[in-house]
Amino acid sequence: MNAPRHLLRIQCIGCVACFLGKPVKRLVLPARAHLQTPGSQHNYGQLLRPFHHSAVCSTSRPSQTQLENTADDETLNKGKSLVTHDDLFERAARDSKTKADFNRVVDVFSKKDIRRRGHVEFIYAALKKMPEFGVEQDITVYNKLLDVFPKEVFVPRNFIQRMFNHYPRQQECGVQLLEQMENYGLMPNVETKVLLAQIFGEKSHPMRKYQRIMYWFPKFKHANPFPVPHVLPSDPVELARFSLTRIADDLDAKITIYQYPSTDITETGEEVMRPHIVGIQSPDQRSLLAKHNPRKPVFVEGPFPLWLRKTCVHYYLLRADPIPPEEKVEEEFDPEMIGPEQSLFYPQRVELDLERDMGDDFSFIVDDVEEGPVYAMCMAGQGDQATLSQWISGLQETCPILGQIPTVFRLDSGPRELQTSSGAQQTPEQEVETEQIIEEEPLLSQRVKQ
Amino acid sequence: MNVNKLFGLTRSVSFGRNVFATRVAQKGDCVHHFRSRRFIRSSARSLTYAKDLFLGKVNKAEVFPFPEISKEELEELNQLVQPVEKFFNEDVDSKKIDHEAVIPPETLNGLKELGLFGIQVPEEYGGLGLSNTMYARLGEITSLDGAIAVTLAAHQAIGLKGILIAGNDAQKAKYLPKLATGEHIAAFCLTEPGSGSDAASIQTRATLTEDGKHFLLNGTKFWISNGGWADIMTVFARTEVVDKDGEKKDKITAFIVERAFGGVTSGKPEDKLGIRGSNTCEVTFEDTKVPVENVIGEVGGGFKVAMNILNNGRFSMGSAGAGMIKRLIELTSEYAGTRKQFNRSLSEFGMIQDKFATMALNAFVMESMAYLTAGMMDRPGVPDCSLEAAMVKVFSSEGSWICVSEALQVLGGLGFTKNYPYERYLRDCRILQIFEGTNEILRMYIALTGMQYAGKILTGKIKEMKKGNVGVVFEILGKKLKDSVVKTVDFGLTGKDGVVHPSLTESAKMFEQNAAHFGSTVESLLYRYGKTIVEEQLVLKKVADVLINLYAMTAVLSRTSRSISIGLRNHDHEVLLTNTFCKDAHFKNNFLLTQLQKNSPENNDANIKKIAQEVIAKRAYVCSHPLDRTF
Repeated sequence: MNAPRHLLRIQCIGCVACFLGKPVKRLVLPARAHLQTPGSQHNYGQLLRPFHHSAVCSTSRPSQTQLENTADDETLNKGKSLVTHDDLFERAARDSKTKADFNRVVDVFSKKDIRRRGHVEFIYAALKKMPEFGVEQDITVYNKLLDVFPKEVFVPRNFIQRMFNHYPRQQECGVQLLEQMENYGLMPNVETKVLLAQIFGEKSHPMRKYQRIMYWFPKFKHANPFPVPHVLPSDPVELARFSLTRIADDLDAKITIYQYPSTDITETGEEVMRPHIVGIQSPDQRSLLAKHNPRKPVFVEGPFPLWLRKTCVHYYLLRADPIPPEEKVEEEFDPEMIGPEQSLFYPQRVELDLERDMGDDFSFIVDDVEEGPVYAMCMAGQGDQATLSQWISGLQETCPILGQIPTVFRLDSGPRELQTSSGAQQTPEQEVETEQIIEEEPLLSQRVKQ
Repeated sequence: MNVNKLFGLTRSVSFGRNVFATRVAQKGDCVHHFRSRRFIRSSARSLTYAKDLFLGKVNKAEVFPFPEISKEELEELNQLVQPVEKFFNEDVDSKKIDHEAVIPPETLNGLKELGLFGIQVPEEYGGLGLSNTMYARLGEITSLDGAIAVTLAAHQAIGLKGILIAGNDAQKAKYLPKLATGEHIAAFCLTEPGSGSDAASIQTRATLTEDGKHFLLNGTKFWISNGGWADIMTVFARTEVVDKDGEKKDKITAFIVERAFGGVTSGKPEDKLGIRGSNTCEVTFEDTKVPVENVIGEVGGGFKVAMNILNNGRFSMGSAGAGMIKRLIELTSEYAGTRKQFNRSLSEFGMIQDKFATMALNAFVMESMAYLTAGMMDRPGVPDCSLEAAMVKVFSSEGSWICVSEALQVLGGLGFTKNYPYERYLRDCRILQIFEGTNEILRMYIALTGMQYAGKILTGKIKEMKKGNVGVVFEILGKKLKDSVVKTVDFGLTGKDGVVHPSLTESAKMFEQNAAHFGSTVESLLYRYGKTIVEEQLVLKKVADVLINLYAMTAVLSRTSRSISIGLRNHDHEVLLTNTFCKDAHFKNNFLLTQLQKNSPENNDANIKKIAQEVIAKRAYVCSHPLDRTF
């Protein structure tokens, strides 16, 4: 058993050596041809890949300053042989970090050396830097990065190359790139596929990765029944409207805008900011509130966080304690009306001493934990008691009984600890809230209105 | 074999025993009934037909022989029918009524002169004093114009019925004469804006004035037929009643309200899809002073009054539908006979023939059901026919819709135009499935009333079975084995002392088989669901459908047996129709009963519910568009 295997291995090595000779030569030739043509990037693209245009390459023409920068980089590179690619990005964008800057760095690298020496390291570095430049969600940038790989070099040409891991580092790098796309929930497009086919061939590992992504991503694309859009509305009122409808699981629930955000200038020249107040209430909640026992208080509680992708918003509740069982009033119906003897329409119940058979009872045993009713929800530009009282008085227009019910404000000190985790993508709302709520006592600051 | 199956077996076995026992008992009853019919006439009957089917019993004495009217009555009826028919053919311009959405006064006067406003009012009060059967016969003709039929029905089938069945003599003497002549028109005010089909949530309130002589009526009633022009209204309102425990409770009371009492305003007539000539509008009562004498029945007893009125009003829809279909058959067959297509007349095509057969079958079954029910109601005593009447209503309203649609289809594009009356018939008959209790509600009523009736009787037995009483189980098992050897169900409809004519034996056997199967199914449903059956609407719908089919089979078997026996003209055609219908209904019933079995693969209810829930949760069609892409 062992002998033939050894033989085979030797043969293989021979084959590889044999085959390696040719492609290398063949590859050098076109590369030289390019060296001689003084054409631009655009030309280069056309020559090699007649059907593929890298959009970024063809469109972004380096401006004067950029060119200078590029030259600068190149001289630096020549001077110092040991420059990590991280530094390349750092230096390229000392003052600003944008997509254009990122693209420029990639362009520089591509143009600098026709052999693209060190492209794997460069791509790894670029992948790491992407979030910094805010391009981690941009498919064109990933394609551009892929474009850094030399084409056709890593495509296996015979069954042996195909059998073994051909150019493993490069393939791994390609897979890594796709993986990062996957992690950011970014779906590759046709351009990606074409590039991968050109770089690694039809059956390479990156291509397999691509196929797997393309198999699973569409399947999971709509897995979330409550999707959040990638771009949230910037208007705080619109954002509140979106968030509240998301929380309220009732299609009948109605949004009321109690106050639009505005800034007034008082006579003394002081700027008074009026925060937005957006509330939601369903007809069921309204009728529940109308039945509320006026001797029991209702509570305004909050803020509670709601995460919308990376944004955190906060909402407030108007709720009450659960009704104790002894106070519950069961609605009594006239037995004549719903009883079995009525034939006016149809009986709403039958009077039988028979329960449902065990074999037909498919209901689960659910332990119902009783909670107090939630009467309304709101989002406000400020979480202080004055603003929320405005909401309550707005609610009184539809539920006059609220005027007789003692309202207790139980407001938390605010979303400070949450704010840190929400990071850069903080909404203006939060900023306002943190400023305003500090004056409230850290724990439940109770005060009875009225 | 699991325990459940064992129980299933035992259940059906025990049922077999029951059937046997009742059959023996019934035979005795039956003989007795025929022999002493005269005596029985004078006493109240307690027998019910449809309800007993739930127990797997066939009370053939109730439905065989098919009810007849006497020769004198028939002659009287024919004398009445001729002028009415003439009037409807010559003087009623249905197209104009539909177009202008009003019945012209001269047409109304014509109807009044014919006495059609007081068909069932006794002669002493100036009406025609006809029985339910005769009323049904006239209904066949009045139904030729939907608007008139509804106007008349609102007037007398429900509007003045309250006074007729529950009013005292003074009320009758005061109101009926003018109502019978059509000088006053009646309306029935039950439905309210907030209630719709749910009559229990009546908000209109009547409060007793301090002198105790009047009620002050306040509230709004919706969808009141004749509401715009009615002079006398039967109004249902809540009143405060002190019950025997001394507690104050809201109860419903029926009042006779004259428009002349004041405070009665009618809204704008509704613009409707069909029956456009009839007047439907909102009626508002504002501090209307109603004298206490105008309470129908007792204060707080209005609910029963309303119940009785509606229960008794529904049966006539069967004959009305049949009358309409009979007219449609005449109209369309003429067209189908003359119209040539591909060098053949339309009537030669199988698919067109199918439509005519459908129409004939439906008309035949409706007619049979309607007159059987009317006959049952005309028998002395307090008839318990609410279930039967509801079944007639459901069957005929749905049958009419199908038949009118098929008739229209025969004419193709022509039927779709306003040049022909089909589109009007189609629009008019759509209301049949909605008013006087929607078909859904009536199905629930039919099934639940029967379930309650059967449940009361079967509870003890089912409980015994659930306890797993070994003795009972084995006893039942033994019976089952014996039964499976004999394997025939026999309710005595056919055979030596049979009530069904021998030429219908096969159909009668099918009926018996279905009836027996239905009884055992009801038992197993009670076993499985108990009192939670109320929530199983899809099950109840099937139960109601089977029962309706069973009742329809009974009606045609009974009618045709009579026709053959007395040699009515074309009774061979009736035999054909009966056998066709029974076979069809038999298969439908078998399928429905199979669906009702536990774990039946034919039963799609769970899926149906799920689909509906998902759609309703979104309040939209759920699927993405077939052209959508994900990448």
